[in-house]
Amino acid sequence: MSLEIEIGFTLNGVARRAKVPVGMSALTMLREVCGLTGTKYGCGEGECGACTIRVDGKTLASCLMFAADCDGRAIVTIEGMAGDPRGQALQRAFVEHGAVQCGFCTPGMVMQAAELLARDAHPDAAAAKRAIEGNLCRCTGYQKIVDGICAAAQALDKEHAR
Amino acid sequence: MTMEAVQKYLAPTRLEQALAALGLPGGATVLAGGTDLMPQTHAGRIRPAATLLNIRRVEGLDTVEVDGDHLVLGTLVSIERLRFDPVVARHAPLLADAAEHFASEQIRNAGTLGGNLCNASPAGDTLTPLLALDAEVELAALSDAGTVQRRRMPIGAFFTGPGRTARNADELLVGVRVPVAAGDAVWRYAKAGTRPALDISTIAVALAARRAGDARLTGVRLALGAVGPTPLRATGAEALLEGQVLDAARARAAAEAAAADARPIDDVRASGWYRRELVRNLTQRMLDDVARN
Amino acid sequence: MTLIGQRIPKIDAPEKAAGKTRYVHDIDLPGQLHAAILRSARVHARLVRIDATRARALPGVHAVITAADVPDQRPIGVAKDHLPLKRDRVRSTRDEIAAVAAESEAIAREALALIEVEYEDLPVLTDAVAALEPGAPLVHPPIAGSKAGAPVGVAGKSDNIAMRFDYGHGDVAQGEADSDVVVEDTFALHYVTHCCMGVSGVIAEFDAKGNLLLYSNTQVPFLHKREFAEYLGMDPGRVRIIQPPIGGGFGSKLDIYPFEVIAVFLARATGRPVKLVFTREEEFLASPTRQPVHLTLRSGCTKDGRLTFRSVRTIHDNGAYTSWGATTPFVMMQTFSSLYRVPHCDYHTVAVYTHNPYAGSFRGYGNLQATFAIEQHMDQMAEAIGMDPLEFRLKNAQEVGEVTGQGMVFRSCGFKECLTLAAERSGYTAKRRAYAADREHDRDARFKRGIGIAAMLHVGGGAKIYPSDGCGTILKLDDFGHVTLITGASEIGQGSETVLAQLVCEELGLPISAVTVVNNDTDITPWDVGVHASRTTFIAGNSALGAARKAKAKILAAAAPRFDAQADDLDLSGGCVVRKGSGERLTDLPRLLRSLHFNDRAELVMTTFYYEPPSVHQDKGYKGDVSAAYAWAAQVVEVEVDTATGIVRMLQVTGAHDVGRVLNRLGLEGQIEGGIVMGQGYALTENLDVVDGRIRNPNFRDYKLVTAPEIPAMDISFIETMDGEGPQGAKGVGEAPAICIAAATANAIANATGVRITSLPFTPERVYRALRGALPPTQPVPLAALPEKAAA
Repeated sequence: MSLEIEIGFTLNGVARRAKVPVGMSALTMLREVCGLTGTKYGCGEGECGACTIRVDGKTLASCLMFAADCDGRAIVTIEGMAGDPRGQALQRAFVEHGAVQCGFCTPGMVMQAAELLARDAHPDAAAAKRAIEGNLCRCTGYQKIVDGICAAAQALDKEHAR
Repeated sequence: MTMEAVQKYLAPTRLEQALAALGLPGGATVLAGGTDLMPQTHAGRIRPAATLLNIRRVEGLDTVEVDGDHLVLGTLVSIERLRFDPVVARHAPLLADAAEHFASEQIRNAGTLGGNLCNASPAGDTLTPLLALDAEVELAALSDAGTVQRRRMPIGAFFTGPGRTARNADELLVGVRVPVAAGDAVWRYAKAGTRPALDISTIAVALAARRAGDARLTGVRLALGAVGPTPLRATGAEALLEGQVLDAARARAAAEAAAADARPIDDVRASGWYRRELVRNLTQRMLDDVARN
Repeated sequence: MTLIGQRIPKIDAPEKAAGKTRYVHDIDLPGQLHAAILRSARVHARLVRIDATRARALPGVHAVITAADVPDQRPIGVAKDHLPLKRDRVRSTRDEIAAVAAESEAIAREALALIEVEYEDLPVLTDAVAALEPGAPLVHPPIAGSKAGAPVGVAGKSDNIAMRFDYGHGDVAQGEADSDVVVEDTFALHYVTHCCMGVSGVIAEFDAKGNLLLYSNTQVPFLHKREFAEYLGMDPGRVRIIQPPIGGGFGSKLDIYPFEVIAVFLARATGRPVKLVFTREEEFLASPTRQPVHLTLRSGCTKDGRLTFRSVRTIHDNGAYTSWGATTPFVMMQTFSSLYRVPHCDYHTVAVYTHNPYAGSFRGYGNLQATFAIEQHMDQMAEAIGMDPLEFRLKNAQEVGEVTGQGMVFRSCGFKECLTLAAERSGYTAKRRAYAADREHDRDARFKRGIGIAAMLHVGGGAKIYPSDGCGTILKLDDFGHVTLITGASEIGQGSETVLAQLVCEELGLPISAVTVVNNDTDITPWDVGVHASRTTFIAGNSALGAARKAKAKILAAAAPRFDAQADDLDLSGGCVVRKGSGERLTDLPRLLRSLHFNDRAELVMTTFYYEPPSVHQDKGYKGDVSAAYAWAAQVVEVEVDTATGIVRMLQVTGAHDVGRVLNRLGLEGQIEGGIVMGQGYALTENLDVVDGRIRNPNFRDYKLVTAPEIPAMDISFIETMDGEGPQGAKGVGEAPAICIAAATANAIANATGVRITSLPFTPERVYRALRGALPPTQPVPLAALPEKAAA
């Protein structure tokens, strides 16, 4: 029987507790313990970005993070993007610009792009591409994802100008 | 399931507590960012010890500061921070450049300098530049009296083989000390690959030297990554460059020497022959660039 | 305003962007168990002993099955040579030996480690040419006492030939005699794999009546349903397939694979729903690859630039079991016979059993491989006769109305327009000359640029290889003007759902938001053969249009007497019934629908339509007009070669696509951009490293997909040839954009460096070696090794 660790963390702004096996990844915890399936398993090795979440304000690969290490931390997943202005702008822009095909990479892309926009409100295409260099997509060829990111940045600009 | 063997999980906030944990029966496996530990344990390549020791919350291990003529980097400094921190950019630009070409932002945010060093992959992105910068690692252990004892070691001696370091089981790597770049410092970094980052280096080359008014290079360090069991210094090439003015002929000769210094193997990523070719070509281009500027 | 040609966001995009979409991985049925598969540790071995005792005893394990537990299992696959659970021998590292169903995936995988297997190693055969030699070990040795006519999976066979294809039109000897220039080369096309971002998975459940429900990612649900029923000895009416949204297809889900059958076996054995999801490593190891091809092409032309003949022989490494990779010759021969005007052609290929991983269907289905060879020869022949390569292509490109040697009729054809436009927009001709001059004058330059062109031909109106190539639609309108479109055509992420809604809304004068598409349940949807051959827009589109037109006719016929008009004078627009010409709004549609419903002769508007394209089955010589339409594209690729490292950067791709008609401009661009980058991966970065039967890089770290910073600038144009049969004139494009990238890249590298590389991929080390003459040459396919056409 695997050792279980009790942890407390905030998930999408809500405090909660969990008891997790010591070897469980944050990805598995989010999907199976917390029931949030928006974060995806793509490779389990941090190479594809499908499992990207935000922890204490920075994106990382949840498949590489130990669930136990979530203790005391603030975690945001794609489900938490509903209340996030950058997340909303990105989701709208992705839809409008055709950045979604099969959609499997999309949650990770949104999370990672939101991190970019938090750091750089006016990314050019090259900066957008570097920001998502760790997010693989097999369907779109990335172009429309990049278009969506830049469009979201502009839309946010307009919002702030008001 | 390899994690079945873990009986204890600790996440201390003080260094003494962390060091004490290393002495627990059954040993301890150190967890920082997890970017290497998680895939390794899942693949069965690492069998975790009885205690999983999460050092990420230990205070004081993530600082970046200048101490006299050394830049001191805490073991928990993230790779992303190495990329953007202005102090690193000013005093160890070679390291910042290597961080620029490291994996992806998600990995850089979680990955730590100490983790990259202790994983000791011959292709590890921070290893080669630190070798070229004559860095030292600082290791800490708990004395019998329960106080923290530190020792330092040149980084070249720290790496003992692929995935192996000179860290004792009762020690933690706590920091890295890098001599601050002098005003006349020259540095270059090159990593071969089709992608800007997310690429285990086919090879990496890091150059650090000083160039005074007479254009002679001194203190030349040429470090090569992914062409040997550890990152290594191309001492044959260095000898040809030390105290000399760099011109095209010398650049070519040094590049040939660097290729000869390399000890690459064939693996799934590249053949040894190609790695040597890359060492020669990239080193030559690098040195030509230094000669021109 | 018309919807046709507009940029219409995908209907399911908001849900996907919010992370709300539930893929098969996200679905959990009450009481479900999790399954895992034990795969062979050896490449070729006898299974001496399998002992699952310790695995069965592990707490949480409900069942462990091996071949011994399913004596009724039947071989699957097009050649029926593939038993889901291997019986007395394993033939590849993919081979499924045992499977576990347990309370959790972790327990299931832990149980795998407790299964003891004793192997007796047998000689390993991983070279297809060697496999044809007399005396070579047999991959499926004949089993004594088998019934005559029993499938290979049960009876074995006496040689290593899985399939062979022989095609010819005209007289190649005559063609050779007519030639002033003949070029011959051998091309080697490598293993790559689909790398769908969502790994394979399935959930199998038997309900209380013993009916089977499968949550499957299949791209061919109705074929799947029939085949599962056959394998399980069930009435097909008792098999239901539900298709959750899929995390990528690209042709990987066109066949039945052992893991799905195994999940069903476990569901049967445990009486519980069973969910089986691959790890990414398993996805690399166990998913079918693109068909690797070893190809010798001999091409000829006259000195005034007319193509005379093509003679092709290929060997396909079939791997240990036969999947759709073996049938790529169907598509390859179309390209060899009909891409450009070729009066004489012959094509011989053999698919040979080995102990390597087997190939399946993958976007382009052999066309990438064939085009890679043909388009390199086009450049080489042009050079040999001193003609501009674009001019040479235009001289041999077909036009509307032509019929090829294989019997394909080009009713709409934008071939020349594609070539011309792509060349124009990319500055191909001038750049090619400039780069060639640079190459001569500055031989020591580190970075060398080059530009190359390639064209492609692919079916654009389905492919009649099954008894039917059709698709059914059921359409209903409710009292509020909301449309439910029930289509047999699956959505695999390519946007078919949105295009079908668009066509229907255009016909009925409604906004896209007025449509709900139902497409994922075989109990509800009418038959469709499946998503392959770039057929969905064309065939499902025509099907949806047919049902929509019937609905419109019914509505207008009912409206006409109410407004004292003829049905012909009325139209549907802006959600209303309107008078044609004046556009006067007579009533809004929902009001009319309610008045139809709530009256003495109550009527609901419900229509159906089954569209069968007017294509034909090929005859025994593979000749026939197999598709209702054909599509072309030309792509120009500009590269920069770093001669110090061999790294090839793809700077720009300029493409012109004959799409018939642009329906959803946004979706079309997305398909093409994605296809271009897939082609870029095939050409430059992807390589499944299969050595001695083992895959050495089953992970994203060492199998390199293209990442965002590496993509080229993409300039995409559409040629609208308004196909007469296509819905609103449209043709299919799903596969087209991936097809000629590698060929154009090869031509670009040759332009940049003067070195022509006839084997893929153009990874840095291989290009570096090629530039120094250190790349091992390809070996011609030995014609003598192709045995005489086997007796039937």
